[in-house]
Amino acid sequence: METNKKTSRNKMIVSGIVPFIFIILMMAYIFGPGADLLDLGVPLPEITIEKVDFVKSEIHVTVRNTGPIPVQISMADVNDRIQPAAIEPDKFLERYETALVRIPFEWNEAEPYIIGLTTDDGVRFEKQINAAATALQPNIEFVAFFAIIGTYVGVIPVMIGLLWLPFIKKISKSKYHFFLALTTGLLLFLGIDSVKEAFDVSSENLSGSFNGELLIATTLVLSFLGLYYASEKLTGKADSLKISKPVAIGLMIAIGIGLHNFGEGLAIGAAIGLGSIAFSTFLIIGFALHNTTEGLAIAAPLSRGKLMVGKLIMLGMIAGVPAIFGGWVGGFAYSPFSAVIFLSIGAGAIFQVIVIILKWIREEGEKNLSSASVVSGFAIGMLIMYATSILI
Amino acid sequence: MVCLLLLVIGVSTIMVFPIFSNAQSEQKTFVTHSGVIVRTSGEIIDPLYTVSTVDFDPDKFLRNFEYGVVSYSETGQTIRDYTIIAEDDKIQEISPGVFYNVWTFNGTVPGPTIRATEGDLVRIHFINNGSKSHTMHFHGIHRSEMDGVFEIVGGGGGKFTYEFEAGPVGVHPYHCHVMPLEEHIVHGLYGVFIVDPKEGRALADEMVMVLNGFDTDFDAENNFYAANTIPFYYQHHPIQINTGELIRIYVVNMVEFDPVNNFHLHGNLYQYYPTGTDLVPSFYTDMITLSQTERGIMEFQYDFPGKYLFHAHKVEFSEKGWLGLFLVKNNSKSEVNNGN
Repeated sequence: METNKKTSRNKMIVSGIVPFIFIILMMAYIFGPGADLLDLGVPLPEITIEKVDFVKSEIHVTVRNTGPIPVQISMADVNDRIQPAAIEPDKFLERYETALVRIPFEWNEAEPYIIGLTTDDGVRFEKQINAAATALQPNIEFVAFFAIIGTYVGVIPVMIGLLWLPFIKKISKSKYHFFLALTTGLLLFLGIDSVKEAFDVSSENLSGSFNGELLIATTLVLSFLGLYYASEKLTGKADSLKISKPVAIGLMIAIGIGLHNFGEGLAIGAAIGLGSIAFSTFLIIGFALHNTTEGLAIAAPLSRGKLMVGKLIMLGMIAGVPAIFGGWVGGFAYSPFSAVIFLSIGAGAIFQVIVIILKWIREEGEKNLSSASVVSGFAIGMLIMYATSILI
Repeated sequence: MVCLLLLVIGVSTIMVFPIFSNAQSEQKTFVTHSGVIVRTSGEIIDPLYTVSTVDFDPDKFLRNFEYGVVSYSETGQTIRDYTIIAEDDKIQEISPGVFYNVWTFNGTVPGPTIRATEGDLVRIHFINNGSKSHTMHFHGIHRSEMDGVFEIVGGGGGKFTYEFEAGPVGVHPYHCHVMPLEEHIVHGLYGVFIVDPKEGRALADEMVMVLNGFDTDFDAENNFYAANTIPFYYQHHPIQINTGELIRIYVVNMVEFDPVNNFHLHGNLYQYYPTGTDLVPSFYTDMITLSQTERGIMEFQYDFPGKYLFHAHKVEFSEKGWLGLFLVKNNSKSEVNNGN
């Protein structure tokens, strides 16, 4: 019996491995030495200028090889005029490798520039900067500056939103469902907003080789699934963890919003870093107004539990503080790739929270989502967000 | 929750950290176009052509004139025989690190400077070793069948002999005239044809400058401009001349795509002979504008030693390579390269 079991087990392993062997053989046949089956066409080099920083008397250009073959960077230009430059660590870029091109250039504040790089086959790639502005240095001043902005954008509005809690506590059940639905409306808008932002960043700054659209889809779904699984565990174990179910849901909402706010912080930091100062002022005002609704979203489920000020503040912090980190990362170390990733994670987190709230409304309420209070709440949530978003 | 917070802090620290750790050892230095010295730990990407990387030597080309194999007819006419081979498979480093498929006459862009005296019989034994059809079309006076337009010479060893009497006096371009014409010209199938007057010109330090450009990314705009092919070459390798010595430059504009090119000389003015057909100068100026294949002869001499720029005053062209220096030395006694 024992040996029988063993052989059948071995058979199973072998039968699982056999297809892999054939895959390897197939790859060897297609790509291996001497295989000229796919030797068609000319692979074209491609590079992407991911970031341009204006520092004293120099322009720093971060370039990535986003093509199918290694490339050599041969020349740099500013506004289509050739400039001697340095490239660190070296001019040979393997696939996906990055390098820093330093172009000595006395640039003028707030003027637009087009930065070009030419590869060894003579093809020029360029990137336009709308307004040159000194790159932010991660010194104490700017770290504090972003912390303050993050507080204004993330922490304070969320805390203000939480002040609706006593109000929501006193209202009837159907009105309460209205506010829960309003929350989902708000969140759905935020989720769509994050996805849109991710697509924008991807199409503007991310090379096609990253397959941005599918990167967003994949990250979003993974984030959704991961947090969904985690939240099921959390709400399931709520009793043993000595937290009530409303607090567990509030926590999941706070985490989702926190990830979203990290994305917002990135956007603000990047806008300041890229020199769109006026734009970032609008962003800050818009986000601040917008984000008070996020406090409401956290407050709504919590209103059915005991009022615990400490926990409430904690949730507010979880939702709001990531805006500060986002500002630092966006301002000092912006990369389109990480921005897309964070925005997608944030979107996944928010969609996950929406599903949880809807489930909760169903369990709590009349087992349906088509009551007047739910539908109108949802709709008004979207409308409020749209109205405040116009301010951005 | 705490984990999440730690994760966020961790990620942001990792992303910000590289900025703090940039203090590497810096070794190499280079000089910018505005004279600033910059240090780097990496490599320098600068259009600075060094002799070891030259496929084509602009210094050699500058003062090189091909007079052909000389013989005389029974009537005493000078016959000059040239062999010109066209190719279209060469990859040349036309600027440091930038490689471009040049189409060549006798292996270089521009092709050899063909020089004869008015009335000489010029015989060009043309061999097309390229993969495409090519011809040689000379600007000047000749019979219809010697015009290099309808007598297409096939690739892979096709042959044709162009035969005509050198004339009129002046400086003329020659180029391939196979369609699509622009493509054949911009790839480099052009050169200079000089016809000297019978009585000769005054003794001078003579040079030839072909103003050309390269569209390396095929967007119908030039990426590089130069006098004699290599961008910035004469800036890094100044042309040495002497005070009090007559300088004569045969200038031919072969730039495509851009409607004009021009030639500005610093610290001096030149006598200008449009197309070189007249022996009396038309202008005394420091700035001449040239359209496609427009050309002329410039004569000047410097009284003061030092470095003098010459460049396109269409500054875009000069910032993309059409810029050079004369290094004028205070030395009246020197070799005068006047060819024959």
